Amino acid sequence: MRASWQLLSRLIDLPASPEETAERLTMSGAEVESIVRPGSRVSGVVVAHILSLEKHPSRDDLLIASLDTGRGKHACVTAAANMKAGDKVFYGAPGSTLPDIEELGIRDFDGVRSEGMMLSGKEMGLPDVDLTAGLLVLPPGAPLGADALTLYGLGDVLLDISVTPNRGDLLSILGVARELKGLFPSAVLKPMPWDEVLPGDDSWPVEFGSVTLPDPGCLNYHLGLATDVDIGPSPLEIRVALAHLGMRPISNIVDVTNYVMLLLGQPLHAFDLNTLPKREITVRSAAAGEMIVTLDGKERRLTPKDMLITSGSGPKSEPIALAGVMGGEQTGIRDDTKIVVLEGASFSALRVGHTSRRLGITSEAASRYSRGVDPTLSAVGVDYALTLMREWGGASIGYKKISAFNAQPDPKPVLLTRKKLQTYLLWSDMEKAAEILEGYGLRPAQAPRAEERAFIPPAWRPDIIIEEDLIEEVGRWRGYDEAPVRMPGVLPRRGDAGASTSLALSLRACAIARGYAEAITYSFLPESFVTALHLPEDDPRARPLSLENPISQDWTVMRTTLLPGLLNGLRTSAASGWRGPVRLFEIGRAFLKDEKGHRELDVLGALVCNGTDPRTPWRETLDDFLSVKADAEALLQVTGHSASFVQGREPFGHSGQSADVRVKGEKIGYLARLSPAIQRETDFSNQPIYVFELNLSALEEAEKPAYTPASSFPATFRDISMLTPEGKTKDDAAADIRSAAGSSEKMLERVTLFDVYSGKGVPQGYRSMAFSLCYRVRDRTLNDEEVDKIHNAIRDTLTQKGYNMR
Amino acid sequence: MSDLKRQAEDVRSSFEQAIASVTATDALQELRVRYLGKKGELTALLKSLGKLPPDERPQAGEAVNALRGQIEEKIERKKQDLTRAEDAAAEALDKVDVTLPSRGRPAGAFHPVAQTMHEIVSIMLGLGYSVALGPEIEEEHYNFECLNMPSWHPARDMQDTFYFPADEETGRRLLRTHTSPVQVRSMLQYGAPLRIVCPGKVYRRDNDPTHSPMFNQLEGLLVEEDVSFSVLKGSLRELMNGFFGRELKNRFRASYFPFTEPSMELDIECVECGGKNLSCRVCKGTGWLEVCGMGMVHPFVVRSGGIDPERYNGFAFGLGLDRMAMLKYGINDLRLLFDGNVSYFLSGRDA
Repeated sequence: MRASWQLLSRLIDLPASPEETAERLTMSGAEVESIVRPGSRVSGVVVAHILSLEKHPSRDDLLIASLDTGRGKHACVTAAANMKAGDKVFYGAPGSTLPDIEELGIRDFDGVRSEGMMLSGKEMGLPDVDLTAGLLVLPPGAPLGADALTLYGLGDVLLDISVTPNRGDLLSILGVARELKGLFPSAVLKPMPWDEVLPGDDSWPVEFGSVTLPDPGCLNYHLGLATDVDIGPSPLEIRVALAHLGMRPISNIVDVTNYVMLLLGQPLHAFDLNTLPKREITVRSAAAGEMIVTLDGKERRLTPKDMLITSGSGPKSEPIALAGVMGGEQTGIRDDTKIVVLEGASFSALRVGHTSRRLGITSEAASRYSRGVDPTLSAVGVDYALTLMREWGGASIGYKKISAFNAQPDPKPVLLTRKKLQTYLLWSDMEKAAEILEGYGLRPAQAPRAEERAFIPPAWRPDIIIEEDLIEEVGRWRGYDEAPVRMPGVLPRRGDAGASTSLALSLRACAIARGYAEAITYSFLPESFVTALHLPEDDPRARPLSLENPISQDWTVMRTTLLPGLLNGLRTSAASGWRGPVRLFEIGRAFLKDEKGHRELDVLGALVCNGTDPRTPWRETLDDFLSVKADAEALLQVTGHSASFVQGREPFGHSGQSADVRVKGEKIGYLARLSPAIQRETDFSNQPIYVFELNLSALEEAEKPAYTPASSFPATFRDISMLTPEGKTKDDAAADIRSAAGSSEKMLERVTLFDVYSGKGVPQGYRSMAFSLCYRVRDRTLNDEEVDKIHNAIRDTLTQKGYNMR
Repeated sequence: MSDLKRQAEDVRSSFEQAIASVTATDALQELRVRYLGKKGELTALLKSLGKLPPDERPQAGEAVNALRGQIEEKIERKKQDLTRAEDAAAEALDKVDVTLPSRGRPAGAFHPVAQTMHEIVSIMLGLGYSVALGPEIEEEHYNFECLNMPSWHPARDMQDTFYFPADEETGRRLLRTHTSPVQVRSMLQYGAPLRIVCPGKVYRRDNDPTHSPMFNQLEGLLVEEDVSFSVLKGSLRELMNGFFGRELKNRFRASYFPFTEPSMELDIECVECGGKNLSCRVCKGTGWLEVCGMGMVHPFVVRSGGIDPERYNGFAFGLGLDRMAMLKYGINDLRLLFDGNVSYFLSGRDA
């Protein structure tokens, strides 16, 4: 909302500069985003009188004006043709500045010297105030030689106010003036120009039926009449004011409605009487599916929650406007309009808000009505607008309004107690509080108890309903910087971070220390991720939740896995020129459909790739499946979990390099190298990509470490080296060793693999594995014979099981 | 001069000659054996002492023992010298170019937004606030209705919402537009008194350089008896000063949110220019940064949380973790935060 300082000054005497006013408004809730001085780049422009006009001696398209500014005469060449001798125009002498011209000078037009320039509105920075191409011809009364910035509001100062949704009243100059009256107690509100307007009493010279309001969403409705209207431009200063406030001047009649809306906050609508299908108005709710073509040319389908202004009566009356939102296409003011029917109405904020939100229409009227317009303004607005139509358009007025009413809101007294005021603000001067509230226009009323005060909010402040609202008025008046600073009362304990946040904290510390960069990627994915990951239909990750109103084709569904986001991170990294290793992790939510609708899973996802240029002097440091396994294992270990990795199968995984990650026997995630098929479809076909995801909810409860001191008796070590059939995993082989120990298994403290090899010297279908076996018990020293006996028994059993001892 | 004495002098001079030409510790060891070993020259001399007349023995013995002492000392000194030289030579061979890249993985890096979240949470834990989390897919009821934002409310224009297709059983679900629904859920779950912070992702249908459809918020809520706005000021002062690591000027402006009454916004002094630069890119020359919306919890919301607003009241505040991270780490473009680009998060590293 833009507030004009000049218009404000018509309503209030302020003891403050625009800057001081802006600061006070900002701190008390109406943030002034900027102070605009539209004329700040215009200087030296004055009113000049065209004494005569001559043709240019050699150029048909130019005229030579001889000008008088009251302080001297100038010759000026122009290409404009819309002026005549005797007209007054704005003239910039050499040295003047304009928004688009740094400094006017003296020019030569084919041998004719031209000093400075005669100006159009456009050249002054206000293209909308021009009525025709060419110069801005001034009213005859323009004072000769006066500085342009002192005339027609051209030197105005504008406050750009960000109005919060609760303060519809501030969407008008009047509302801002009232707010300033509250904020500056020494300010004085002037008599309002509309206060003197007398409502007309004459009967209408044309036949017109009644206004009926079957929809209670229309609180009141007034129709005024102006006849013998002469459609033409509005006065220059009005055109300037409208342009400054962001509205295009159109014609005197339309400008009246906009001007009154800006000044009072009361939207008005002017109809051409002769375009009304029937001379009768009904404000009713729309029928389901009823259509209207609004002024913007769009056809709108309506519901019974929408309210219509209609012509005629009964449920079939013809829609002419969407109440409070936008007019219809048929009935607007035209250049030949003679009789204007002017509507001023009050509509329920809720209803207008609903319609404008549903249809996505943010008209000036709708934005005001949906925030609440003072219902007492509609009649005043019509009367005042009619007088302006007479003033600017020569209209005949004085006819009695046709009005109709439904139940009007009745502001209830609101109680203020010292106790609550003290609690909230640590301040409780009830006298001062009353003074502040009355300054905003609240009226004191009888309170039920002595320690309470009651106030009735003015009609323009429907937002004041409860005691807290009064406290806010007092608090913002005093300024919240005034309030003392206190610490929260001492609690006997520190806050609790909660399992999931604590877990995330340990996990990320570990992942970062192990070389992973933390990522946050979008929770949205394109639907195509399902096929990109080769997820089969029966995989729960293949059925993501779809958004009803996605913002982009790339973000249509909720992620069921963090993998696509991480892969995208890899792509983005490479695209930005990063050639080295990429290790990424993310802790975030995945969203899966289930029988109850959906569930959200806390997941840690990670991705490792050696990069597009993996060359390094230390080849042994390149990542592979087992180095990434170490990371997944470490993350589980630091959070108190021991995991097992068993051969697994992921739709996107390499069939030989995929593992299920299990904690306490439950699958809590996977570790996989991406399958060659998927690698080929990514831009990283030549470098393996390893990924893992861990479901964190299973990890929130840490296992306690089971500490055991070493036996005080010495250990005996024996090695076993054997050819292992290829189908046997290392875990299988180790388990076979343990089971081969039979009843002596308790003497076998550890079985540690120290070598694994296949290739030359090892027959096809076998791997060579070497284990170190540690024999030890808690209560005595094992002697060599004993150990040899067990060890040999183990070897024998293993041989029987198909292992070849070496 | 007795024979023995002369022999001793011979041994001494031959030893002196021999040791001078020794250049390695193993040769020195051979030398020791040659003179001091069981069959060594000096040992032989010692053995021959017995053949002397008893009155000459003490004097000769003293002389030979003195010589032995000198030889031992010289060998020891030489050994030290040679060891030092040999160590130096060996170390020179083992020289490492310390500027070679380290072997193994360099550390990764935190994400500024996650780091910001954990830092702020840690500050607030110290003030007795616990962490409460809630779903990112919410019900309209918790996201709007409970927070005094019915469907017609103009404040809804401020929050363009992502919806899921309506479902008979579950009603209309949406992506939460703020972390405020966690307030209501926590009040319903824990009752009063209550002190919580709720960090998390939130979603709005906006996408431009300063708006991302997904961003991160942290909400704080305190509900106790007789809570004043002053305690909100104190909590936020600790949060801001703790997070930025210094005393920052602040100002509290009146504002509006449907779920708080009264409502305010907190501006802190510009962390980039401190208000000294009229063309500052961060504060646009105003000297102030808008960082946090807040207010005293609206009685309607307290009641939605199942708590009696006549007995308990409180305050709530919400801030953008992304914005806080951008301010602290000097990040200009919000969108850089969410694409997992390691070249950005590991800026300055060789790759």
